[in-house]
Amino acid sequence: MATPQAPRLDGVFAALADPTRRKIVERLLAAGELSVGDVAAPFAISTQAISRHLQVLERAGLIERRVERQWRYVRMRGDALEPVESWLSRQRRYWTAALDRLETTAAEQTPKRRKS
Amino acid sequence: MSQDVVNQESETTLRLERLIPMDPEPLFALWIEPVQLVKWWAPEGCEASVDALDARPAGRWRVTMRKPDGNQVATSGIFRIVDPPHRLSFTWAWEDAGGIRGHETEVTVIFEAAPGGTRLVLIQQRFDNRGARDGHRGGWSASFDRMAALAGR
Repeated sequence: MATPQAPRLDGVFAALADPTRRKIVERLLAAGELSVGDVAAPFAISTQAISRHLQVLERAGLIERRVERQWRYVRMRGDALEPVESWLSRQRRYWTAALDRLETTAAEQTPKRRKS
Repeated sequence: MSQDVVNQESETTLRLERLIPMDPEPLFALWIEPVQLVKWWAPEGCEASVDALDARPAGRWRVTMRKPDGNQVATSGIFRIVDPPHRLSFTWAWEDAGGIRGHETEVTVIFEAAPGGTRLVLIQQRFDNRGARDGHRGGWSASFDRMAALAGR
């Protein structure tokens, strides 16, 4: 039986629901690690706005930060998307089994059809 | 829900399809009548009981599943579309032991008369109604696919 999800899942979904944040995540996945300036570069929005997006991603457990002298870097956490993937596979298992039971119940209640 | 969402399976949408040997009308009843629903809703060994099943738009539903060890877990939500015997749509979430609902999704079940019974399509969209669905529309699926592929490296 599927179990209730960790509360983290809501944060992950909410964080990924924003197109700018998804672009940031894709860039980080492709590049590995980027400085905050490099993250901001392709976007026509303020550094402040990028900072807010990074905060949301960090709170959701998707990215982590590293400071080296005056430079600030961000990268994806290794387990970032794990909650999403395990949640989906639990749902799939539940519904596949439920439809098996539905099919059995339906078959039991339906008189055999005559081929016409 | 737009037709393309119905047709597409992606990393963000669960889509299952079955041919069930029963006509759409009685099959629809298996979903919305408590005495019928408890026959198949809960996993093997668990006992389902219906706490609410108000099958009309905005109506609430809640089903508790009791495990052999006495522990129980509930699922609940609100009906969005009740269009017998064609389409059923409801929000869906597991509840934790304290009755706190987890991440909410939307489940849509489509009943299509077919030779030999009903073609049933079940679609579960992962996003709740807190603005997340807008994000789902544009390119979300494609970008998640890429993300998942990259993350899996």
